[in-house]
Amino acid sequence: MSRELLASQKNNSGILLDPRTKLAVLITIAVFILGGSYEGIMQYYIIVLAAIPLLLLSAARKWKGAVLYILIFGGSLCLEMFGLSRLTGVANYIAVAVVGILLRFTPSVVMGYFVVTTTTVSEFVAAMERLHLPQQITIPMSVMFRFFPTVAEEWSAIGDAMRMRGIRFGGGKVGAILEYRIVPMMICSVKIGEELSQAALTRGLGGPVKRTNICKLGFHVQDVIFLLICLGAFAAQIYVLAARR
Amino acid sequence: MNNKLQGKDLINIGIFTAIYFIVIFAAASIGFIPIFIPLISVIVPLVGGIPMMLFFSKIKKFGMLTICGVLLGIIMLLTGMGWWCIPTGLIFGLISDFMMKACDYKNAKREVLIHGVFSMWVIGAFIPIVVTRDAYYQSLLPGYGQEYADTLMAYMPDWILPALLIAAFVSGLVGGLIGRKIFKKHFERAGIV
Repeated sequence: MSRELLASQKNNSGILLDPRTKLAVLITIAVFILGGSYEGIMQYYIIVLAAIPLLLLSAARKWKGAVLYILIFGGSLCLEMFGLSRLTGVANYIAVAVVGILLRFTPSVVMGYFVVTTTTVSEFVAAMERLHLPQQITIPMSVMFRFFPTVAEEWSAIGDAMRMRGIRFGGGKVGAILEYRIVPMMICSVKIGEELSQAALTRGLGGPVKRTNICKLGFHVQDVIFLLICLGAFAAQIYVLAARR
Repeated sequence: MNNKLQGKDLINIGIFTAIYFIVIFAAASIGFIPIFIPLISVIVPLVGGIPMMLFFSKIKKFGMLTICGVLLGIIMLLTGMGWWCIPTGLIFGLISDFMMKACDYKNAKREVLIHGVFSMWVIGAFIPIVVTRDAYYQSLLPGYGQEYADTLMAYMPDWILPALLIAAFVSGLVGGLIGRKIFKKHFERAGIV
């Protein structure tokens, strides 16, 4: 229970959002903050987008995450605005790279964290079905998200075991390290995967009939507001592109 | 035999895509240092060979590699590498699927070649750098600063795209061979397949 993506039980998430809205917000943040160009009004719109994860986190009473987010994102924003011009040479180069990476990655990571901790697996699958995505995409995708934390956990456990045997980075041949770490991890993962697929088949995944679901999905006022903010981001980007010509 | 993808196959795709992504993500994080970015197209296929060869041995039906490629593209979009990996994942996944079908899913030597082809999806991460060079340069400026952007652009001339594609293919072959060797040494003996 300690580490899982996509919660298996419903937690209190403060503002109740449809999984589809959460995905839309996540994609918008990924597109515009991670990969966007910060031109014209987009510079200011990005602040609005970056505020969404903060709002959601505090509404869900995840104070620790919210404070960390303010510290990391706000800190690097301040650094970029005021601190960087004072540094020169190599220090400036390193600081710019670090601040740039932090600024770009934290909002998406935090939003991703919010999405996966407040959405249950069945809600996720139900939402994907409502989007009319084929089963061939939804099943592998939900298995994948379910599986990331498992692999990460195995990876660190194997890392501990190998360290006990004195096999660590910098200690020997790179090829051997790769082999000693990847091979056990894959054998574990395949075993876990087989158990997982048995469990899923027992619950009727991949059956020929349409599966029913008890999750209540639907768009409410709060969904509409967040979707409008996302649409606004796309509109602003189009405006910026049109103005450039 | 039923040729449609069953629940078990779909779950297998999810599991192996997750393993593959974690392995290549760990390997590709050297890309934070700009001069190593072109090297990603060598390292990713090289390391990815090990999980992929095991995955290939589980594939008995058409379409599994296509789905895997599309899923990789979707994660790449969510982790901020742009949307180009979705079409490249689809195309190279589909080609690999046809090649798998042609050799009836049990030709081990051909699988090395297929891994070479499949590895070329990684080119999708580089397409935005070259094709929309100006926009990409502009987008780097505020986030990463002038020097990072200049360094990256200097290391990425236009002709690098086909060169990287070939590099991905060749190191995909090498990665496939390594994967094959490890596969024989460990997985066959351990009775995983």
